[in-house]
Amino acid sequence: MTTLNKLLLATALMLPLASQATAQIKIEGLHVWTSEGEVKALKVITDKLATMGFEWQDSAVGGANGANAQQALRTRVAAGNPPAIMQFLGYEGLGWAGEGALRSLNDLYAKNGWEAALPPVMLQFVKHDDEFFATPINMHRQNWVWANKAVFDKAGITPPTSWEELIASGEKLKAIGVVPIAMSDEAWQIEEIFEAMVADVNGPDFYKKAIIDLDETALASPEMVKVFDLLGQVRGLHDAGFTGRDWAAATNMVANGQAGMQIMGDWAKGEFLAKGMKPGVDFLCFPTPTATPNYKFLMDAFGGFKIEDADVNKGQDAVAEAIMDPEVQIAFNMIKGSIPARIDVSMDGFDDCAKRSFADRAEAIANNAMWGSVTDGFAVEPRFSGVFGDVVGKFFVTDMSSADAVQALVDGINNAR
Amino acid sequence: MPRPIPLSERFANWLPRLVLTPSLLIVLVAVYLFIAWTGWISLSSSKIVPKYDFVGLEQYFRLWSTPRWHTAVANLFIFSTLFLGVTTGLGLLMAILLDQKIRAEGALRTIFLYPMALSFIVTGTAWKWILNPALGVQKMVNDMGWTSFVFDWIAQPTFAIYCVVIAAVWQSTGFAMAIFLAGLRGIDNSVIKAAQIEGAGLPRIYRSIIVPMLRPAFLSVIVLLSYVAIKSFDLILALTGTGPGSATEMPSTFMYSATFRRDQMGVGAASAMMMLMTVAAIIVPYLYSELKENRDGH
Repeated sequence: MTTLNKLLLATALMLPLASQATAQIKIEGLHVWTSEGEVKALKVITDKLATMGFEWQDSAVGGANGANAQQALRTRVAAGNPPAIMQFLGYEGLGWAGEGALRSLNDLYAKNGWEAALPPVMLQFVKHDDEFFATPINMHRQNWVWANKAVFDKAGITPPTSWEELIASGEKLKAIGVVPIAMSDEAWQIEEIFEAMVADVNGPDFYKKAIIDLDETALASPEMVKVFDLLGQVRGLHDAGFTGRDWAAATNMVANGQAGMQIMGDWAKGEFLAKGMKPGVDFLCFPTPTATPNYKFLMDAFGGFKIEDADVNKGQDAVAEAIMDPEVQIAFNMIKGSIPARIDVSMDGFDDCAKRSFADRAEAIANNAMWGSVTDGFAVEPRFSGVFGDVVGKFFVTDMSSADAVQALVDGINNAR
Repeated sequence: MPRPIPLSERFANWLPRLVLTPSLLIVLVAVYLFIAWTGWISLSSSKIVPKYDFVGLEQYFRLWSTPRWHTAVANLFIFSTLFLGVTTGLGLLMAILLDQKIRAEGALRTIFLYPMALSFIVTGTAWKWILNPALGVQKMVNDMGWTSFVFDWIAQPTFAIYCVVIAAVWQSTGFAMAIFLAGLRGIDNSVIKAAQIEGAGLPRIYRSIIVPMLRPAFLSVIVLLSYVAIKSFDLILALTGTGPGSATEMPSTFMYSATFRRDQMGVGAASAMMMLMTVAAIIVPYLYSELKENRDGH
């Protein structure tokens, strides 16, 4: 008997033992997390699942801002082989719930009192009619400004209190040879600035009316023209090489001191932290300037497809319970850079930006000033949010007038209705 | 009494049909059935998943009321015309020059053909940097001392589509050249010699004899490159991401974003049908005229 054969035999004899030790129910999850930090964060959930007796089968489909995963999901559902667990971004989950494809989590929500633990605005993305179909793990904030502290000090500027001041500070940054705003000509990066302006300049109620309710009078109003006027002033504040720049490359320009600031969601924070920079010391995080504080969110939620298999259903329940576990939410979000979806957890141990986000969220909930981000797909269905990107992206790179842009917006939205 | 046909002979008669049947079935299902299915979807109210109702031409009206679709159609014509014209012209010129029995022809041919080995993703990414005013050509010329030199087409909505043409031409010219070169090598030398005896100059020989004789090569180049032009999806996504401001949108990228990103499957299907009709309207008459003449014995 060769050594190899001995080894094989030994392994074969060990197998029954090994499989007994991990006689776990397998549960498959399709998601879009492929970057190092995301994978590490997901491991918090899957480790918890393992202690509950379930083995996570990972199906990660990255790329194209989640479009590849959506395509994979559509193909699998069409083939009658949906994944047990699916990550839902924006309206994706509501769409499937509307098709009656998702399993209800009402019993779990009722038993654990989860409804009260989540921000009310968030519920609309995990509930269709009266059926809860998903559980949220985290929340990102969209309307942040990320700034390089040393550059701000050198230019003699402090965090601005209005968009006019922010745009004016651009001249001071230019004077010391720094690019005022790090950005790209990609439509969505311009839209991040645009949507912050809509709520900051005209207030969160206007944002709700124009962008979430798609009210035609609000969309065509002079207030909207004003927003485009303001956005037009940002045209001179970027560098020539902004074509097709990745958001993380723009964040790095701020981190390196080549640029003064970036308007981006709090996923940008990870780039600073990865360089060992500290919030408040090396870089600044502050909400986009406004007289009417507001909070724009996006989130990650997981739901399960209807599958006739008791074991799979147990696993789907276990995933929901693991996700809503306060300890899991805390550990997950410390790695991911977002804040827990639950409003009843302690923020001790988080960094200052996350603490600020958590405190601002509580205030926004109280003031009814919290709405989903349109750029990231949490304000309106994709066929409408796409129109905002089209118009804003075109407006910024051409000499389109504000009035024409507003008209294009109204026409585009009406066409998609 | 007729001799019974032996089994082996019967089998031999049926063999071609047997061999062809699977591929014929696959083509029928995978191509024509799905074309019909897409046509059906384009007449339905399908959004996130296919829905088999009937709403008439609503999705087509919606499609043609979308400014981005108009940009996409215009871009397809600008891109295809320039891409086909420049690639064919340049490829032919290079093939003729290479055919002059020059030294190191093998090495040159490999160099010209090499871009073909790259995927459009690589080509797109490389040209994205070359054309970026802060990284590529403009910066290089500026650094050499010509500080007022500006080459920022990729940032200009009206010129960005020409950047796509540049990258696509760079990628495909070598391929056109290779086909033309093969065509040139296939031309009988005696024809050229006869023309020389008749006193025709070299330009005249090329214009009146050689280029017309390359007609089959033209057919291959044009058909193959048209298909590259229509599926230029990956190049656009890598080079410009349909930007700036949707200025480099193409029907293929429009179809993808409508179907998979915006949950407008009906609109996506309508745009796919429009693409099919456009391509058919151009390619079918061309193929017909080329192939018909062949059948007539040309």
